[in-house]
Amino acid sequence: MTNGWTDVANADVVLVMGGNPAENHPVGFRFVMEARRKRNAKLVVIDPRFNRTSAVADLYVPMRAGTDIAFLGGIIHYTLEKKLFHDEYVKLHTNAAFLIKDGFDFAEGYFSGWNAEKKNYDRASWQYDLDAQGHAKVDPTLENPRCVFQLMKKHYARYTPQAVANIVGCTAEEFESAAAIICSTGKPDRSGTILYALGWTQHSHSVQLIHTAAMMQLLLGNIGRPGGGVNAQRGHSNIQGSTDMGSWNNLPGYLKIPRANHATLDDWLKAYTPKALRPNSMNYWKNTPAFMTSLLKAYYGKSASKQNGFAYENLPKAGETENYGWGSFFDQMHKGAIDGFISFGMNPVANGPNTPKMLEALAKLKWMVMVENFETETATFWDAKKLGDKYYSTYKDPKQIDTEVFLLPAACFAEKDGTFVNSSRWLQWKRAALPPPGDAKPDQEIIARIFLRVRELYEKEGGRGARPLLDMTWDYTNPISPSLEEVARESNGRDVNTGKQVAGFGELRDDGSTACGCWIYSGSWTEAGNMMARRGQEDPTGLGLFPGYSWSWPANRRILYNRASADAEGKGFDPARTPIRWDGTRWSGDVADYKGDAKPTDFGAFIMLPEGVAKLFAADLLEGPFPEHYEPVESPVANPLHKSVSSNPMATVFKGPLDPLGDVKEFPYVAITYRLTEHFHYWTKHVASSAGLQSNFFVEVPAQLAKEKGIKGGDLVRVRSARGSVEGPALVTKRIRPLKVEGKTIYQVGIPIHWGFIGRTRGPLVNNLTPSAYDPNSGTPEYKGFLVSLEKL
Amino acid sequence: MSSARVTRFSSAERLTHWLTAISFLYAGLSGLAIWSRRMWWAAIALGGGETVRAWHPIAGVVFALLLATMFRRWSAQMRLDADDKRWLAVSHKYAVHQEGGVPESGRFNAGQKMLFWLQSSSAILLFASGAVLWFPELMPRTLRLAAILIHPIASVASIGGIIVHIYMSTLVVPGALRAMLRGWVTPAWAASHHAKWFREIK
Amino acid sequence: MQTVAKLIDTTLCIGCKACEVACQEWNDQEFTMGVFNNTYQTMPDLAPNFWNLIKFNELEIDGAQSWLMAKYQCMHCADAGCIAACPAPGAIMRLPNGIVDFAQDHCIGCGYCITGCPFDVPRLCAKTKKVYKCSLCSDRVAVGLEPSCIKACPTSCLTFGSRDDLKFAADKRAADLRKSGFQQAGVYDGPGVGGTNVIYVLKHADRPTDYGLPKNPSIPWTVQLWKGPVKLLGNLVFVGGLLAAFVHFIRVGPKESHDE
Repeated sequence: MTNGWTDVANADVVLVMGGNPAENHPVGFRFVMEARRKRNAKLVVIDPRFNRTSAVADLYVPMRAGTDIAFLGGIIHYTLEKKLFHDEYVKLHTNAAFLIKDGFDFAEGYFSGWNAEKKNYDRASWQYDLDAQGHAKVDPTLENPRCVFQLMKKHYARYTPQAVANIVGCTAEEFESAAAIICSTGKPDRSGTILYALGWTQHSHSVQLIHTAAMMQLLLGNIGRPGGGVNAQRGHSNIQGSTDMGSWNNLPGYLKIPRANHATLDDWLKAYTPKALRPNSMNYWKNTPAFMTSLLKAYYGKSASKQNGFAYENLPKAGETENYGWGSFFDQMHKGAIDGFISFGMNPVANGPNTPKMLEALAKLKWMVMVENFETETATFWDAKKLGDKYYSTYKDPKQIDTEVFLLPAACFAEKDGTFVNSSRWLQWKRAALPPPGDAKPDQEIIARIFLRVRELYEKEGGRGARPLLDMTWDYTNPISPSLEEVARESNGRDVNTGKQVAGFGELRDDGSTACGCWIYSGSWTEAGNMMARRGQEDPTGLGLFPGYSWSWPANRRILYNRASADAEGKGFDPARTPIRWDGTRWSGDVADYKGDAKPTDFGAFIMLPEGVAKLFAADLLEGPFPEHYEPVESPVANPLHKSVSSNPMATVFKGPLDPLGDVKEFPYVAITYRLTEHFHYWTKHVASSAGLQSNFFVEVPAQLAKEKGIKGGDLVRVRSARGSVEGPALVTKRIRPLKVEGKTIYQVGIPIHWGFIGRTRGPLVNNLTPSAYDPNSGTPEYKGFLVSLEKL
Repeated sequence: MSSARVTRFSSAERLTHWLTAISFLYAGLSGLAIWSRRMWWAAIALGGGETVRAWHPIAGVVFALLLATMFRRWSAQMRLDADDKRWLAVSHKYAVHQEGGVPESGRFNAGQKMLFWLQSSSAILLFASGAVLWFPELMPRTLRLAAILIHPIASVASIGGIIVHIYMSTLVVPGALRAMLRGWVTPAWAASHHAKWFREIK
Repeated sequence: MQTVAKLIDTTLCIGCKACEVACQEWNDQEFTMGVFNNTYQTMPDLAPNFWNLIKFNELEIDGAQSWLMAKYQCMHCADAGCIAACPAPGAIMRLPNGIVDFAQDHCIGCGYCITGCPFDVPRLCAKTKKVYKCSLCSDRVAVGLEPSCIKACPTSCLTFGSRDDLKFAADKRAADLRKSGFQQAGVYDGPGVGGTNVIYVLKHADRPTDYGLPKNPSIPWTVQLWKGPVKLLGNLVFVGGLLAAFVHFIRVGPKESHDE
């Protein structure tokens, strides 16, 4: 989240799209209710289903899964057309005025630079027009046809209310009533927030979709403002923490993974230390060398010196363009390229797309270590033929599977101390409530025992690639089970000479004098102690920022980009809601996202970006600098905007024998998968209370479709896709409305996840249905919007 | 004074009557405990609230079954004839023992017949509403709402009738109790109270 | 002692069922597997071991899709139908703080309270032959805690306090809702049963049945008739009968047989 849960209460308009906080974040949703109660805020929900959030919304607009970019693009068009955007904000805080090189263009579904043969883009034409100093040229009047503002206007001119309605499936009137409420926040004294979750991230164009949301919020002047922002509601209690620590494609603190062409630390630094693109850009990432060097010192301690490039060579390097996303990983496994798999709290058979492929992939492993609280579908994958007979009758017998499976019992969250990093980026220290049962052990002990044993083997027997293990610092008081307090102190960082904890990342150096495990967590455990354990409830700004409660990365800042809440002179756009104030010498209030004593005019507000301002036009993403509506990989219609380039040309779509895609003729309905309040993922089906609250798998079927098919509530139905099928009782409802798209009636079928072939309550795995299609930037699977058929059993 | 005995009730009739009476007594007393908290002592005397709740309906069923046997045995004799109707019209005279103008009775006088029909009809109501009250969790709400009213009304009628019956048979008509206990009456008794019947059997 | 109450602002209810879980856990009741009935409800109805149910009612109101969620439990009436109907002394009591509480020790399992309740709340357990329902956590309230459902509610849909304060808050909230365009918003607190200590704010107060609440709840007329006129008449019959017999016996006496 750019802002945080408590700040949602400051909003005048709450747009919930691609999320369902009433069901999946009910505790956080209290702040939405507070905004409604205290500020009379409007809640707008745009979703394929009339869900529990919609039930309390002021306005609900139905939509077809996977058409969010069309909807938001329509709002961008509406804002620009009706001049509802926050003019001063856009000019001051965005790259609207930046000039783009000649040659940038968009036509027939492709941006300029498309290489039809390689199926990727040459992004050269997407760059800024630079002057001699390497700074971008700008036109403050926004009139130059090559400026971002004009190019954006042209790009979204196609997204008229009628065009949007034709893609999305709602009526143009419904779209306009939503747009009117959302765009009412373009005024300086109003702010609007967006709450989203997996409904936005699980598409083959998800990163672009969130980019669209950011553009909309920038145009309305809602970024950096209390009650504003683009707020991702994280799904697991510590998923934010695992992302911060580099759970898949980055090093801790969002430092980039080294690749094969970055042989030395200098190569890496050259590639990833950005240069300022404007004279007034602070370009904070210029400190990348200090962050990276400190990380290497934390990893390799005494073995890391200036002479050996701080042992950078110990870091594994990914191939130059190799993708280590979920899909590629399991595709490689399926091809037999992976011998072993260690899984901590991950259940790919259940939660990965295309379960039949997952099962086949796991059977190719030599060994698998599962660290789990319960016996999961993945831990028992070898018995799927028996346990899930209805769906996997053609799967191998256990005798034909050579994978050796180790199931290690793990302590659950209440049996461990440490931190939860929530959606608000708050690091909240917690204590263990009770000891783990039986042989269950905390994760760090399991990791440490494996590490120490493997290192011992390398020490005794030698072998290839021993250095990263031998050089690794492991000076914990109890090496077998490192205390998480020590690990947390290591993450914060210290001065290696004095041994003192650093107070923040500003003290990190690139000369090897500091060690820091995760630079953005710097400040969480200082000489003053464990800042994450604080529970202060003071609220000096009156905006619900609670600076003394836990600790928020970065630097205990509660609202990211808060400098953008003020104008060029540092005066807040809304005098009633100013998170930071400039008193002539210093900034006070929230920790300024700025230099604490720098004059308002010294730097651009977006200090992390080389531009110094926020990007409406972003060349960083793979499929274009402006988001464009692309259909899901499996869609009931060809893209009404450009039929020949229907889905994202850059989407990661696997084409193996187990990755079939379905056709609308055979699979006429759109399916969406989602979560229910009563359950958490595939975990709580093992828990008595949750299993009791929602015991039954079901398929939500639109009433009109049910009538056509003669299906009554409770009738058993089968949903089938090109990959597999699920069976369960139909929940016939009018809450999923049929939609009109390109003159066709489109039905959407809703299928909640949470069930599987093991647990107190059982049901089919919905990922039997989902396609092997992923977003190219994030590697997230397309769980929302794929094609199925429906039959009554 | 004659020592001749006239048989009035067979042993089967007497047994049925007294078993019915006992089940009625239990059902009635336990019912009264549920009827009014002032009668709760009866519940305690009969084994406590839960026992009373469990046995009251069973006693009710026993009562109903026994009453059904009585019904089968007596219903034909309980039909009101022309004399009975006249008897009812002048029952106020009967109440104060005036004999002039009160028609003679058969085996049962019109008052007894009325009691029979009162008990039979209230028993049907008690049985039907009682079944509903017995298993409230299985019964629809409307039925329960009706039963909760019908059951007490029927029991008021039934108990009211029984009060008169007991008073009459013990205190007003000497020899009546013996007739039900031992089965016989004196010819004089028979001639005085059930002249038509006495003539028939003589 | 102040009368306590629970306010349910249905406009803030998101059907999360946290109150259901809190209720089960505080009262040490097991979760049983739910029955599918084409809704999101945990089960179709309350049960002897499930005292707090969110009802999900899907319907169209003035052409707009609605999904009304409302918590369903004992209303703790001032003029409680269960108390009126209950024959067992001490089985149901109205505490000085207004809570209507069942004492299963004294319950005889007749189920009259179920019939007497205008909200159809108490449930008879087939195994224990006792009736159970929400106690408004009288044990927690007695030691100054709020009921468990209130503590668990994430959206402040549920609040707990003195009845007067909550009635005031409810009226204000309903007025605010009317001001922001919900003409039919109102308060539902059962004036027909002397007021309930569970107060609802409804967006559509004109159609309480859509929330699963009875329109104009009152003690059923058959129960009222039984407890009033019928009981009076019965007492008259019983006492009058005995009295009449006594008088008759003294004044008229036995009817002797004629000697032959």
